[in-house]
Amino acid sequence: MELWLFIIIGAVAIIAAAMMLISENAIYSALFLILNFACIAFFFLMLNAAFVAMVQIAVYAGAIMVLFLFVIMLLGAERVLPEAQPRFRWLTPAAIILALVFLAVSTLAIIKGEIDLTRPKLEEPMVRAVHAVDGVPAVDVYLDGEQVARNVAFGEASSFESRATGRYDAQIFPAGADPETDDPLAEYPVNLVPGVTLSLAAIGNAQEPELVAVTEDLGQVDDKDALRVVAINALHGRMAIDVVDDTDSGNRRALVENVPYGKASDVIEIEKDTYNIGVYPAGSSRTRLMGIDDEDLEAGTAVLWIFTEQRQDDNSYTSTIVNLETDARPPFGSPAHVGQLLFSRYVLPFELVSLLLLVAMIGAIVLTHERLAPRRRFVRRLANVPAGLERSLPGETGD
Amino acid sequence: MEASEVSIELYVLLSAILFIMGTMGVLLRRNAILIFMSVELMLNAANLALAAFARQWGNGDGHVMVFFVMTVAAAEVAVGLALIVAIFRTKKSIDIDDLHLFRG
Repeated sequence: MELWLFIIIGAVAIIAAAMMLISENAIYSALFLILNFACIAFFFLMLNAAFVAMVQIAVYAGAIMVLFLFVIMLLGAERVLPEAQPRFRWLTPAAIILALVFLAVSTLAIIKGEIDLTRPKLEEPMVRAVHAVDGVPAVDVYLDGEQVARNVAFGEASSFESRATGRYDAQIFPAGADPETDDPLAEYPVNLVPGVTLSLAAIGNAQEPELVAVTEDLGQVDDKDALRVVAINALHGRMAIDVVDDTDSGNRRALVENVPYGKASDVIEIEKDTYNIGVYPAGSSRTRLMGIDDEDLEAGTAVLWIFTEQRQDDNSYTSTIVNLETDARPPFGSPAHVGQLLFSRYVLPFELVSLLLLVAMIGAIVLTHERLAPRRRFVRRLANVPAGLERSLPGETGD
Repeated sequence: MEASEVSIELYVLLSAILFIMGTMGVLLRRNAILIFMSVELMLNAANLALAAFARQWGNGDGHVMVFFVMTVAAAEVAVGLALIVAIFRTKKSIDIDDLHLFRG
């Protein structure tokens, strides 16, 4: 089905291009070119490039071709007068032969080249740090002595950073410590593989801090009404917990069960809704240890919950929930995806292209500008010339 | 991303064919505006290849490149058509065979 669609639209695209080339009238050529652009926009859609397809229609087939048609009509240049003999008669056969040779060579290169095109490239691993250590105001996190996050406050997360693939020793320090001389609060070996998104969560208390590496899934959520949730048990009592959906008290539903201390649950997908989430000791539904009430969970996000406790001055513990929400990666080729790329990795090229457009705008004005200013200066000079002389002066007669 | 029925070779081949047609237009037509439109066709053929490879590698960089190519094409069209209008004013023709300043 898709192949047939490709063949039909491809044939239309090639025929439109050919008609554009052989039309004597430039207006018809422009219209055939618009048809060709529409076909290419269709191919962009087939290639999961929705944003590019829309820009193709709006900017190319719309704005640019309207400009072409406008200039053709403005100049009345629909057709170039047929000249008795073209200046380069040998050019036509030479161009056709060269084109056929080029086509043959490129076809051979594409089909027989045995280029390995099937290997999908995974994205670089990403890592961030989450601080949930009771009794430490802020932490720095290092991977093999290289700083990942600086001064992360309690309950906060650093932003995701990409790191090269490989094995690292993740270390967590109190904020401002020198990794060369000071002892880390905790260490944890991590293995970064391509495509993985890792959250290094520091849990526990100042005496016994621990690092938990949670693999998060920021990939596109397939169901558009769903989101991903992962929970970490960091309760100081070190009991295993269940995380239960308490929204409807008559019909409780365990989201994740039996998460031991210092471990992360599996990543689960749930529907977007307003939830009451309760945390219970594993297997029991009587004592609600803590909970999040009336929590709006939005679709297309990845949520990380860390259930922990903070020690108060009177040695009692209050339960604390670190609730971190990250947007899942937008679908491939969507406007959000292209926009994110443009505003992260391609800011400088984007600025340069904007500058280029500005220069082109000024260039268009300068090129088509009627050169009035110099002529007026010339006329002003003429006024000083004695009468009768001006006709003999060389120069502008005006047209 | 699910595998597609249409392999990337077909897209690249189509892109090569369109590119060559654009080249032929540049070489063979004498109307300056048509030459310009052929250049647009070549740019679009390149865009098609870029989008095809972007899908193949699951990498959005190709889409950003397509976006940049479109922007540059817009700039080029603005300047190019301004040039054509300026030439038409002096030569009263946009036949490129008429645009020889040096006799020879």
